[in-house]
Amino acid sequence: MPETDENRPLPLREVEHLVELVRESGVGEIRVRQGETEISVKAKPEMPPTPAANHVASGTQGFPEVVEPEASPEMDGLHAVRSPVVGTFYRAPAPGEDVYVEVGDTVSVGQTLCIVEAMKLMNEIVADISGEVVEVLAENAGGVEYDQPLFYLRPDAQ
Amino acid sequence: MIGKVLVANRGEIALRIIRACRELGVRSVAVYSTADRDSLHHELADESVCIGPPPAASSYLNIPAIISAAELTGADAVHPGYGFLAENARFAEICERVGLRFVGPASSTIARMGDKAEAREAASEAGVPVTPGSEGTCGSVDEVKRVGAEVGYPLVIKASAGGGGKGMRMVEAETEAEAAFLGASREAGANFGDGSVYVEKYLERLRHVEVQVLADSYGETVTFPERDCSIQRRYQKLIEESPAPGLPEGVREGLMAASAGLVDSLGYEGAGTVEFVYANGEYYFIEMNPRLQVEHPVTEMISGVDIVAEQLKVVSGERLEIPEDALTPDGHAIEFRINAEDPSRNFLPQAGLVEVYNPPGGPGVRVDSHLYAGYRVPPHYDSLLAKLIVHARDREASIRRGIRALDEFAVSGMETTLPLHLAVLEDEEFRRGGVTTLFLTDRELESEGGLLRLVQHFS
Repeated sequence: MPETDENRPLPLREVEHLVELVRESGVGEIRVRQGETEISVKAKPEMPPTPAANHVASGTQGFPEVVEPEASPEMDGLHAVRSPVVGTFYRAPAPGEDVYVEVGDTVSVGQTLCIVEAMKLMNEIVADISGEVVEVLAENAGGVEYDQPLFYLRPDAQ
Repeated sequence: MIGKVLVANRGEIALRIIRACRELGVRSVAVYSTADRDSLHHELADESVCIGPPPAASSYLNIPAIISAAELTGADAVHPGYGFLAENARFAEICERVGLRFVGPASSTIARMGDKAEAREAASEAGVPVTPGSEGTCGSVDEVKRVGAEVGYPLVIKASAGGGGKGMRMVEAETEAEAAFLGASREAGANFGDGSVYVEKYLERLRHVEVQVLADSYGETVTFPERDCSIQRRYQKLIEESPAPGLPEGVREGLMAASAGLVDSLGYEGAGTVEFVYANGEYYFIEMNPRLQVEHPVTEMISGVDIVAEQLKVVSGERLEIPEDALTPDGHAIEFRINAEDPSRNFLPQAGLVEVYNPPGGPGVRVDSHLYAGYRVPPHYDSLLAKLIVHARDREASIRRGIRALDEFAVSGMETTLPLHLAVLEDEEFRRGGVTTLFLTDRELESEGGLLRLVQHFS
């Protein structure tokens, strides 16, 4: 690992704080800058309702565990794109830039959907099928586990 | 005290560490692979993070995933347990660099003890007796022959970076020196990327004894009465006990003082174990394990000290808290490793569903295990299912307690080493105490009406 500024841990707590501020204040966006680090948090246009049964709080705290219910969206023909690594989920290539995909977008095989950052390595997560983005399951700048579903895609009709 | 510890391990040892955290009011983070979704360590920790697929290389040995999990959960320290990353100096160094406290000695100490020839030299310099042999590594076959002329044959050539019998060759006589030296170097190079070897006099009939140590950052070092781990199969320990039966008091004091000397000379911090071979009243240093060991509960039972809790105190920069009387053995303790292996079929590894799980109880019985009825033992990891530790006022009483507890221990769904342990406890020579590491090699297992029996064969 090179000894650079980039080795400083991401200010995740600050980001978390900003997300809360945006949510509580109702403003569209907050942007802060400190040195070379700039953080911008935008409110989501309108959260699509998530199937309540999909997120069940487990006995342990921290990571919301995704318990796959018997009637999972995957059984309705939806395809889950899962995180291949433990890391931090980012919907956009950089703070302030447009997100890679929105709900309703049509994506093709190999198209980047998001980034999961692990130990300063930006892993681009790509669509493994073509189809429509139905749901974004992880929160921007939040932690994701290995194998955690990130997106539901509805496969293109054959 | 530190606030949150990530436990970079699985199975019983992950539970052991989580339990110590709970009692100290430290939050714990479990990491687990997709094969361990139903594991107890994942259930009992305060938080947990899935770090990868079943193969250990992609999960429990996956350094980026574990470091990311620690950063995301805000852990202050990482406890590696034993196995996996516990003796990986690079992992310890990465932890140091990202500001995570590694529960163990400094990465440089781990690297030093991982190099067997260097560890031998360090021990020698600290005045600890080492097996007669080469000083440091042997660069040529002539050096091997020189050692042979000096200490006599047979010799054993060992890989400096090695372990587990790889890069190891016996040398019965000088004529075999060349082939053995070249063979060992080549094998060491292929297995460890480092072909350097060293030479020791080969000692056959010996006992394995070891000393548990704890040291803090204030220069306080504590050494505990020795453990005897001579019941082994293919260099894997199966039964450990403390104190070592029939060990003269002078030898015990010598072992403890030698271990303390080595630990002090290294500037060691945390828990560790100094391993020796013992034969005919003499003891020689083999290696130092810079980590918590599987058999640490044996020492806990006879000392009343919670070794994992002391590790966490040391890593928090606190002082050790060991009462004086903890260093005199209180009775006798024996540990049995219950492995998912079939002793009747050459210890074939077992995996699958645990149908019934009923661990023993009652006085003087401790079981460290991650099993429960309905748990599925995954085929990806090591075979340790449970550790049964019995404690009683003397060795005889703890053997009787061991037989009683092993008898009570019910696990169904797979074969285990439970019947083997009962057979060992019924063996007369074991009961007399002081057996060598060849105990199991010298015996055949025979099945008799569903029970196993050990029969000594004479060659």
